[in-house]
Amino acid sequence: MTAATQPQRTGRVRRVGERQEALAGYAFIAVPMALFLVLNIGTTLYAFFISVWDWNVRTGPRSFLGLGNFERLLNDDIFLIAVKNSLYYTVIWVPLTMAIGLFLAVIVNQKIRGRTFFRAAFYFPAIASSAAITILWIFLVQPGGLFDEIRGALGLNPLFAAMGYGPTHNWMGDPATAMNSIIILNAWTTSGTFMLFYLAALQSISNDVYEAAAIDGAGAWQTFWRVTFPLLRPGHFFVATVGVIGALQLFDQVRIGGGPNGDPNNALMSVVLYLYNAAFIQVNLDYAAAVGVVLFLVIFAAPLVQRRIFGSGPAW
Amino acid sequence: MRQRLLILGAAMALAFAACTGDGGGSPGPGETEPGGQTTAPQTPAGTAFDPSAISGEVTLGQWESSPAERDALTEALDAFAQAYPNVTVNQETIAGDYRAQMITRFGAQDAPDLFYVNAEYAPEWIREGFLEPLDDYIAAQGFDTSTFYEGYANIFKGEDGTTYGLPKDGNTIAMAYNTDLVPNPPATLDELVSLADSLKGQGDLKAPLCLSPGLDRGLAFLYAQGGSLLTDDNSASAIDSAESTAAVQWYLDLFKNGQGMAPGDMGDGWCGEALGKGDAAIVFEGGWLLGYMDTEFPDTPWAFAEMPTGSSGEKVTITYTAAYSIGVDSQNKDAAWVVLQYLTGPDGMGVWTQGGIAVPSRSDVPVPEGFDVIVAGADYARPGSGFMPGYNDVQKAFQDAMVAEITGGSYSADPVVSATADKINEVLNQ
Repeated sequence: MTAATQPQRTGRVRRVGERQEALAGYAFIAVPMALFLVLNIGTTLYAFFISVWDWNVRTGPRSFLGLGNFERLLNDDIFLIAVKNSLYYTVIWVPLTMAIGLFLAVIVNQKIRGRTFFRAAFYFPAIASSAAITILWIFLVQPGGLFDEIRGALGLNPLFAAMGYGPTHNWMGDPATAMNSIIILNAWTTSGTFMLFYLAALQSISNDVYEAAAIDGAGAWQTFWRVTFPLLRPGHFFVATVGVIGALQLFDQVRIGGGPNGDPNNALMSVVLYLYNAAFIQVNLDYAAAVGVVLFLVIFAAPLVQRRIFGSGPAW
Repeated sequence: MRQRLLILGAAMALAFAACTGDGGGSPGPGETEPGGQTTAPQTPAGTAFDPSAISGEVTLGQWESSPAERDALTEALDAFAQAYPNVTVNQETIAGDYRAQMITRFGAQDAPDLFYVNAEYAPEWIREGFLEPLDDYIAAQGFDTSTFYEGYANIFKGEDGTTYGLPKDGNTIAMAYNTDLVPNPPATLDELVSLADSLKGQGDLKAPLCLSPGLDRGLAFLYAQGGSLLTDDNSASAIDSAESTAAVQWYLDLFKNGQGMAPGDMGDGWCGEALGKGDAAIVFEGGWLLGYMDTEFPDTPWAFAEMPTGSSGEKVTITYTAAYSIGVDSQNKDAAWVVLQYLTGPDGMGVWTQGGIAVPSRSDVPVPEGFDVIVAGADYARPGSGFMPGYNDVQKAFQDAMVAEITGGSYSADPVVSATADKINEVLNQ
């Protein structure tokens, strides 16, 4: 493709050199590509294969089911709850975390004293292991835990009482509040990463446009909404895509928070947790593979839809 | 573009072939191979099996919950090495999610020769053909299995009575109570309820009883009141019987009337913590409570008592246990059996349970100090898990419905019973 636009080169030596360069390029790419094909593409296709069989873990296929597992999924109440929960989580968590991430990025993008410290501090929760921070969170929101004490000390209890919550509440144990607790936890821990993405996007905006806006008399608020926010579109696209893919893969926090059954009452049953449950609790590998196939198709389709929403994305 | 797709397709096909090619060990699509169809023991038929004549190496895969458990196992394996110097045991602690890791190991036909099997998932592992039948070894050696308590041993038998594992130890659920608040433990469920009423509001109690809103303890109360999950021949649901429904209602009423509370609602991780912290006066736990209370809450005065009897009038409780099993794909089955028969035999189990973290699963092993009540329960205990395939789904259906009843404030047994019955019938028909 690019060769056509380049001026014709003559001479054998030049061509040999080009070929060697290409060979070296392929050689470098061969190992990671082979790993990618086997470990990512290969396993994905293998999951498609397993999902249409009655499959024994140890001995492999027993009988052909065709689309039987997928039909069963459509009538599986718990799977449908898992889909609903994962979608709910995605719809709430992604915009919330994007907003917090952008807010933090704008703050630490100012030329203020100690901004390196703030950048590090806001990013800090993201480097903690998800297992450790989830256990910490469970303690924070347990009945009579730090969260309950702080809202009591701040005099917020009348507000919570109006919403129907007593002075102590089992936030992770109540089916109505368990998923929202996880959403807040993950919004907190992931907003630092999103901040980093947004920071990179913010710094790619040329200073010229801000100068032009200033000359036109735009205030800070106007500059943000009319200049910064629209120019961040590639950033929004990237963060939203990464966010949606990550959100649909929700697992660690619900596995630790609610166990393999998504307790309480399926409130924390996500699609990936249900996959895990089918594979390792029910020991039904083909059914788990079918869940994986559905999840793969959704995750594969999501960025395509998002591309529509955000228009054509950047070159990558 | 078309060319790119072609190349991608070819690459995918290659990767696919690389993944499915498993050396021809497993049958192709359409063929079936029933699990566990291997012959054992590998000694000539008719000759008695002499464990001391066997030599070899055995990999033992197990979980490890505490340093004390590791020490107890080390002592048991040291004693084994003395008794059977020809067999070397390579111990491999499987860290993290034992159940998930073992399943991937079975899938790769790379499981340890000998390993723990928790009662919770024994029926699934038997059904999937992961476990080697042991009956031929038991018969050839004349290994005495008659002293195993049935509430433990029966869990590791298939539907046709084949033995796939022998319990390495076992626990029964007993009543643990704060001796300051409860001088005389209740002997019947009626006494338990009236005692709970009188304890309400005493001390710092958040509730008199710590209860789980599920079958992991609820099953014991169901049995105590003549209820059951399954009919006697295990062929149909019995949770919808009048006795069962009444028992479920009784259990829900404990929550409704503030006599009992779930540990999470008290801000505790489990009921042992609730007893230790004084949030509850009575909890229902197994032998694992003893070591926990000694290390975490040495100042809380408490004791074990047998489970109160219910309207059935008979003593009953439920068991939690784990077995040693041999992998179907093991290359060292004879040597693995030598280790198994020692560790589940009277001598090996004696060393293992002296560590103070495990309770014997057979009656010819001395009872370690503090576990008398737990062992007394083994005489009449019924399996608390692992007695039917898909029990996790049944338990989940029961618990989900029960949590919905409690958080919804309606406390009605009917939705719990019907959700559980539906799931039992679905599981039985699979």
